[in-house]
Parts: sequence; C-alpha cells; structure tokens
Amino acid sequence: MDQLVEAREAPERTTEKGWEPRIVAMVCNWCTYAGADMAGTARRVYAPSVRIVRFLCTGRIDPLFIVKAFEQGADGVVVSGCHPGDCHYVQGNLLARRRFTVFQALMDFLGLDRRRLHFAWISASEGVKWSRIVDEATAAVREAGPLRHWGRPVKGNSSAQPLLPDTDAGIAPRDPPSAEENQLITGHLQELVTNLLSDGTVSTVIGYTAGSLPQQMVPLFVNEPRDASTLGWNEHCANNLVIYLPQVLKKNRDAKIGLVTKSCDARALIPLIREGQLRREQIVLLGIPCRGMWNQGKMAAKCYSCSEEVSPFTDWTITPEGTKKGSLTSAERRQVSPDPRDREIASLGSFLPEERWDYWQRQFDRCLRCYACRAVCPLCYCATCISDKNRPQWIPTTIDGKGNMAWNVVRAMHLAGRCIGCDECARVCPAGIRLDLLNRGLVQEIERRFDFCSHVNPESSPPLTTFQPDDPDEFI
Amino acid sequence: MARVGVFVCHCGENIARTVDVAKVAEFARTVPGVVLSDHYTYFCSAPGQKKVQEAIQQQSLTGVVVAACSPHLHEPTFRGASSQAGLNPFLCEMANIREQCSWVHAKGEAATNKACAIVASMVEKVKRSHPLRPIEVPLTKRALVIGGGVAGIRAALDIANAGYPVTLVERQPTIGGNMARLSETFPTLDCSQCILTPLMVEASRHPKIELLTYAEVQEVNGYVGNFKVRIKKKPRYVREELCTGCDDCVPVCPVSLPNEFDMNLSWRKAIYLPFPQAVPAVYTLDASQCVNSTLESKSGYRVLACERCSQACGPKAIDYDMEPEILEREVGAVVVASGYNLMQAEEAREYGYGKHPDVLDGFEFERLLSASGPTGGEVRRPSDGKVPKEVVFIQCVGSRDPQRGVPYCSRVCCMYTAKHALLFKHKVPDGKAYVFYMDIRAAGKGYEEFVNRVMEEERVLYLRGRVSRVVSEDGKLLVYGTDTLAGQPVRMRADLVVLATAMVPSSDGELARKLRVPTDAYGFFQEVHPKLRPVETLTAGVFLAGSAQSPKDIPDTVAHASAAGSKALELFSKPVLHREPIIAQVNEGACNGCFDCERVCPYRAMERKEIRDRQGNLIRLVARVNEAMCEGCGLCTAACRSRSIDLFGFSEEQIFAQLAAVAPAPIEAQACLA
Repeated sequence: MDQLVEAREAPERTTEKGWEPRIVAMVCNWCTYAGADMAGTARRVYAPSVRIVRFLCTGRIDPLFIVKAFEQGADGVVVSGCHPGDCHYVQGNLLARRRFTVFQALMDFLGLDRRRLHFAWISASEGVKWSRIVDEATAAVREAGPLRHWGRPVKGNSSAQPLLPDTDAGIAPRDPPSAEENQLITGHLQELVTNLLSDGTVSTVIGYTAGSLPQQMVPLFVNEPRDASTLGWNEHCANNLVIYLPQVLKKNRDAKIGLVTKSCDARALIPLIREGQLRREQIVLLGIPCRGMWNQGKMAAKCYSCSEEVSPFTDWTITPEGTKKGSLTSAERRQVSPDPRDREIASLGSFLPEERWDYWQRQFDRCLRCYACRAVCPLCYCATCISDKNRPQWIPTTIDGKGNMAWNVVRAMHLAGRCIGCDECARVCPAGIRLDLLNRGLVQEIERRFDFCSHVNPESSPPLTTFQPDDPDEFI
Repeated sequence: MARVGVFVCHCGENIARTVDVAKVAEFARTVPGVVLSDHYTYFCSAPGQKKVQEAIQQQSLTGVVVAACSPHLHEPTFRGASSQAGLNPFLCEMANIREQCSWVHAKGEAATNKACAIVASMVEKVKRSHPLRPIEVPLTKRALVIGGGVAGIRAALDIANAGYPVTLVERQPTIGGNMARLSETFPTLDCSQCILTPLMVEASRHPKIELLTYAEVQEVNGYVGNFKVRIKKKPRYVREELCTGCDDCVPVCPVSLPNEFDMNLSWRKAIYLPFPQAVPAVYTLDASQCVNSTLESKSGYRVLACERCSQACGPKAIDYDMEPEILEREVGAVVVASGYNLMQAEEAREYGYGKHPDVLDGFEFERLLSASGPTGGEVRRPSDGKVPKEVVFIQCVGSRDPQRGVPYCSRVCCMYTAKHALLFKHKVPDGKAYVFYMDIRAAGKGYEEFVNRVMEEERVLYLRGRVSRVVSEDGKLLVYGTDTLAGQPVRMRADLVVLATAMVPSSDGELARKLRVPTDAYGFFQEVHPKLRPVETLTAGVFLAGSAQSPKDIPDTVAHASAAGSKALELFSKPVLHREPIIAQVNEGACNGCFDCERVCPYRAMERKEIRDRQGNLIRLVARVNEAMCEGCGLCTAACRSRSIDLFGFSEEQIFAQLAAVAPAPIEAQACLA
C-alpha cells in the first residue's frame, strides 16, 4: 500500500530525451482533411507531431484501427470528422459517434489515459480549430509521455494492486433446489421430450446429461425418443445451450429444435433472431425454473440479480409439479438481490485510471488465447472470426501484451450492444479473466446512454447500427 | 513485386523552403518497393507531368506517389497523367506534404521527418492498391414524374422535349395541382389559369408524355437507371377514350358534394370535372360517393340503383365495372414533384377558423377571387353572401411558430397576402384591408416593389404585430391584436378574416418511404446539399422538383423543376452509367448474414443474396453490394464484425499498412537523415 501511495504522488514521467509525441490522426476526407488543408492555406503553424490517415468518412473508422495505431507505437490518436448533420454520407459521423462513445467508455473502463485519445468535429472551414486541436493533443500527449505500456502494466511487476471487494460478502445466495425436486423435474422433462420427439414437434432436443465428474452436467443432443431417459437436470447445468443452435440450423434450415433453457440462456435468442441467425418458430423452448447455478459451492454471480425464474417467452415450463404450456405468470416472479459485481465495477471506477489499466493489463496478461470465451459465446457465430483473419492481421497471434490487448478489446467491442450477460465467457476462462466485468460494464454503459437492452425486442435495431441526432457526445 | 515511383515536388519554394526535398527523395528510395524517386520544382507543370509519365513507362512502375499538395487539388491531374501513360489512375496517390506539412511547420528536421512519414505511408498504401475501372451500369432512358402540378409538368415537358419518354403520374383526376386554384399570381398579376392551362394541354398532347391521372405510385424497386415502378390507376368508371367532356352526365346525377377544388365553397356532383379547364377533360365518377357504392348484395354482387349518368351519356363512356389497374414501368430517373398543402388552419384555434364561416385560409380566399371560382370572381363572404367591406389579413399563421405550427418561413405568404389585399381593393374599391405581419419578406424579382405598391398606392394598412384572437360579435368579426410599432393593443371589426397559413408537405412520408428518400424534420424531401446539390436526393436517380423539397413560390418551383429535369437528362445523356469504383465489396464466403451492413447503409446499397445448393434449396442469405447504388462511404465495413466487407481504394490492408508506417517513430527516417 505504501508503494501505491508513493506511486500516486510521484510526478508524471517526464519527457524522455529526444522523444517527440507521435500522434496518428484519422480524419474524414470531406471535412477534417479539408480543414487541415485549410490550416495549411492559412499558414496556421502547429506541432509537427501529427500524421494524418485519410478516410472517406469517420463512419469507416473502426475503433480497432485506433487499437492498431496504439499497438504500432502511436502515443496518441486524434479522430475527427464532420460536425453532426454535416456528414457527406448523411449519417456516417452519427454512427461513428455511437461507436466512439462505446469505445471511449471501454477505454475509460480499461483505464487508458484520456490524454491519449482525442475526438473532435472539425469542418472544412475550421483550419484554426484543426491547428488548435493538434496543439492541444500534442501538449496532452507530451504531458502523458511516451506510450510504452500498451499491453503491459504501467508499474511493471509491482505488487501494489488494489483488490476488488469480495463478491460473497453481505449477500446471501438462494437455497439450491433439493434432490427430490430435481428428480421430479427430470422425470417430467424426460416425459415431455419423449412426447415432443415422438409426435414430430421437434427433430432434436438439446439438453443436459450427467457428466463424468460428480454433479457435472454436460450438453446432450437427443434425436430419438428412447434416448430422452438420459436427460437430466440439477443446479450444475451451467452451459448455455443456445450456442449450438446457429450451427445446427445452418446444416438444416428447416429443422425444429427443442432446447432446455434457463432464463438467462434464452435471452441469447433475441439478438440471434435480430441478426437473422435463426427464426423463433424453429425453436421450442423447454424452460425449467432456475434458482441459480452452482459451481464449487458458490452460486454464480449472475444469479443474484436474476428476476426471471423462467424465461417469459418459453414454450413449456417444467416444474416439480408437472409440465405446462407457456411461461409462469408475473406473480410468480421473485425478489432479487443486487448483483455483487456492481460493487466490483464501482470499485474499479474508484481506482485511478493508471491502477485500472494495471488491473486489466494483469488480467489480460494471463490470457492464453485459447478462445474458450469465443467458443461458448452464443453471439460469436461468425464462420471466420476476425482473430483468425490474416490479410490483414487484425489481432496479433502471439500471446503477448499487444496481441492479448487487441483480442480482448475486439471481443468486448464486438459484444457491445449485443451481450446478454450469460457470463459463459468468464465461467470457462481457464485464466480467470474477469470478462464478466468487462461485458457488464459495457452493457450498463449502453443501457444508460442509448436506452438499449439486447435481450428485449428482436425487432429493435442494434445500438451501434442506428443513432439519434442528439446522442450524447460530451467526450468529443 | 511492387515497383513504386516517388516524385517529390518542390512546389517552387512552397515545399522546398521548409522541407528538405532531396532528403525526402533519398529516404523514399529506402522504402521497400520503391524503385525510383525524384524531386523537381513543379511536378504539376507540363514538363513535370512528363517526367512522371516517362518514369512510368521506362521503369514499368506499378504505383506512383506524388509528394506535393493536397489530393483535393492535384489528384485528378496526376491520376490523369498516369492514366495517359498507361498506369491505372487508382495506382497513383498523393502524399500531402504541402498543406499538411510544409505550410504549417517551421523549417527543420521535424518537418522533413514528417514529410518522410507521409511519403512512407502513401508508398505502403499504393503498394496495396488494386487497379480499378469505373463501374458501368445499364440505364433505361425513361423518366417518371410524380405529381402533376406546375413543377411536375415543367420537369416532364423539359425531359420530353429533349426526346426522352416520360410517365407523369398525378393522383387527382386532373393535372394542374395547387397552382390551378390560384386566381392571379404575384407580382405581375398574370391570371394563374391563363399561364398554366397551356402547359397542361401541352403536357397532355406531348407524344413523349404518358399522362396517368387518378393514379398513384404503389411501389418503387431497383436503383438509378433501373427503377421498376408499379403504378395503381384508380378506376374513374368513365372510359377516357370515349368521354367527350360534354357534361351531360352531371345534371342528371342526384348526389351533390362539396367541391374540393373550390375548397368546399361550391358544390359538385358525384360524377364531375374538378374545374372546366381540367386536363384530361374526362369526367370522374367519385365511387365512394356514388349512390351505387353503398349498395352491395350480401354475396358481394353490386346492385346498380342509379344509372342516370350512364343513360345520359351519349358515347356510352360510363363503365361501372372498371377495376383498379396496375401498370408497371421501367424508368431510369424519378422526379418527385409531390408539392405542398396548406397547414390545417384548425390548428390556429384562436383565429376562429372552422368556427366562423368568414374566417378563411389563403386557398379559400383565392377561390373567392378567382373568375372561375364559386362566386365568379366577386368577393362575397361565405356566411351571408354579402360583399365584405373590411378585411383583415393575418400573416404567419403556423409559419415561424415552433410552438403551434412550424418553425420555418413559408416564403410565399407575405407576397400572396399583399396580392390578396390588392385584388380585394380592386374588386371592392371602397373596402378597407388590414394586414397583420411579423415582418415583410419580399425577396424576389419585383417583389419589394409590389408590396410597396400595395401599401402606398392601394392604401392597404400594414400593422406590425400579432393577432391574439378573433371572435364573432353581431355578425361581425372582432380582431384583437397589437400594433407593435405604435405600441398599442388594437381591436378592429372585420367582415372577413384571411389567414396566411403555412405550407406543409403534401405527402405523409409514404411516398418518401417508397422511394427510400429521407425527409427533413417537417416531412419535406431532403436534398443532398442545400446549396450545391439542391435537386438530388441520397437515392441516386431520384430528383426533387418544387415545393416537395421546401416551400417555394412559382418562379422558384419552375426553376427547380427545370433543374430536376436537366439532372435527369444528364443521366440520360450517356449510353451507360459510369460510377466511381471506390465501393464496398462483400466476401460472400465469410458473410454471416447478420445484415448490420444493411442497417447502417445510407444508400440502401446492401442487398440480400440467396445462396442455394444444386437442388435449389436455400442455404443461407448473404449481403451483396449493389454497385450502382454504393457511394463508397465504408460505413458497412466498420459495422461488419466478421470483416467480410472491404472498401476498394481504402482497404483494410492499405489502412493497416499506413498506420504501421506512420505510428512508430521513423527510426529509419532518422537513420537515413543522420
């Protein structure tokens, strides 16, 4: 702790000898590039630190280009385009604004020094503004010093790491269901599945069966009615079975599939329907009232705040008492506790950016690039993941700070506005990276800013593909 | 293997003064792939361009980087020169070391270093450029004009006179639009009918114009040069080819209705001609009002209760069995001239519109003034038919009123109110006219003079101020207002009150949706650029004419319509459409079909392509770029998570290479300079 205090009081790293800030500016062709030309025509002298990369529109600028610039050694990045309403392509900058809003929020969450990333609207006539922004950005980056810690902690291997609060403290978990209840549910489930398969309502049912370890439950595909007896249910059915749907349906577009679901898993169907990966009528949801999933004697963090015993759009509900069509009525919804991770997120928010940066860099440092997080994510359905592309190489394949940073930022950005919070990625991560905090932080940010919830309405537009003329842009 | 030539321009002293051009050229030679670098005083001069062209040919260059001024200035020059020398123009790039380097930095190593970095990044880009060819799109040389008002007629005539066929669609039974309703037009006081009717007749007789009245556009598919339009022709129940316009059917018709053309101030029959000069001069049976329409047997069999019109009709033109007809047309360009409506004056409740018959809006007063109107041109109040002696005109009703109306200025009300007051004074010489105004906006040829004439010669009293309310009292109207110049509240008696209500778009957004053209906050069609591209829309091939775009007076409308016509002709002037090849392209194999690209595309250029197996079963849907519609903004590329979309000319590989060249400190550059 002493070290930490000392570090806080230590002056900022002074400029190294011979070091000059290196700033990459990504600008749109029509406004800011012309504005920079205008500054030239007017001979507005500004710092020679900035290197312009011209795009046709800020809407073309993937935030991952910014990651790439930092990764390649830039000390700062300036992104600039037309003022809202002036876009040459009508809405490019407004879509870009949303994307940058989320990216800035992610960078804040990861603790990137705000002095390194600048956004501005500069029109073709604002040469003066361009020179001012460049000078300001240069001064800010000069103050922040060379960026040597992209992909590694600022303080090297210092052990002065503030800890997150204990998730278990203060909130009592729910009681897990009794073995008899699970037995009854299993019986009803087997009977229902037998019926559904026999009368041809569905061709396959995806459920759980006992694994090789005690209490472990693993996914099971049932195609024949006689195999329904191997299905099981208890509080260890952690896997989100929705991940199998897009692939099964890709093989057979007209298949109809029964799916044993918990309410949290079923949410993933909404973004999948929205993104055209499946149709609701292809899925028969077999909802089982869930009181929380348990692992190693602990209830999963996501279960504390879960209010839905059964998904509201389930087709069948299987309770210990029997099987009924439809979902439970709202009266049967239950009381919830606060999500213990909100305390962790709040605690992260109270750190200095530098501490937050170190926290996440240490987390990402453990990443093995096994892509287990990708494999279990119901929304990672791309046939070819961006991390597997090599022309150009978006994500460095090496397991080092830069590669791990790029992968984790990309993963978070690609789930922004889509993640439904099933927490499978965090559950399966062999390195214990707190991907759940990262996802939850962005989910909350998107809900707060754009009033969007991924798992509510399949008809709604994803928040990063739409915009409001008055979207917040206080960071610009 | 790339063979790039780098040409560093001194631009006289403009670059050479601050940047060490020789060192930049020397540095450029160290960048992998560069086979030649040179520096010269003016590369944009004829000998300079020749140097570049010779180098291209002698060194078989596969890429050219001209380090000089902004690409906005000389990119076309050098691309043209490269093209002449046999190099694809898209393999030539500009490194902007003047506007963005030499002009804004002090002389020294920093400026030279920056110039080196800019050159290096452009070399990296051009090494990854692909030769591109302009996209050729076939084209149907036929235009669709939507709306048969003066704007639509003018645009249709301009296109047809140039020799291209036009389909003119009007939803009313006659063309003419709102202008046909007007009495006289400001500032010259031409009779509106007299100047419009010849145009209407010309349009109807023109061999190249297909006139479809009583018809509506139902569906528009396709894209620039290749639109497919479905037009629904509503049944008139009168055969157009047989009707002689003799009027024999009208007297026998038993159903009387308010005449919409006369703003409900007169009556018409269920079978009618909106006004005597209507084009086409074909009667229309208003099926919703005809006594036959309500009579239907339970089995859906139509019973004819009244056949008087049919019996009266000499040429037997009346056909009760007419069905709606769907016409399909292929057109290359669409001109939208859907016009405007007046804002419903009911919105301005305090002025008593709708409560007192003697409170009128602009169109109603126009009809009272018109020689073909319900009173034959005599001004008579609707309540008792007396000639009003005192008339109060209230301007800006709804316009410039964000609370209750619209915030914009409707642009014509100042002028038509002045005209109304003048015509009233001419028709009722002993009458008195008062105008309440906010300020007078008389910007137009002869407009200010006209208003002054109304004020000074016609002795119309202009009162600057707003009217708070209009109430009726003993058969008269009492107008409460303020005269802000005198600083006094005003109360005056009036026989008639005329409200200059705001112009609002006539379409409810339905047409805009069909055409996939954005509208502004009020529902007017949105042009691409208010100054530089005032008739084009974001949907290529769809042009705007007249007050569909914003409130306009007649001269502006006609000018706008001719502009729209000439834009369509510009399109038709080429055998095929050529488009910039900077467009997006989808890697269909990698596309997952989430269609986020479709959601973000401002041009609706993303299509859904079906991938089928050999048996014809649908396997999946993927995105496909319509080359004719893509504008190359690249929004789709950033929205695509699987990176299945790339943009020609600004590809991801190029951007990555550029970033890699500019982001790190140019150690190589420094080493080279040391």
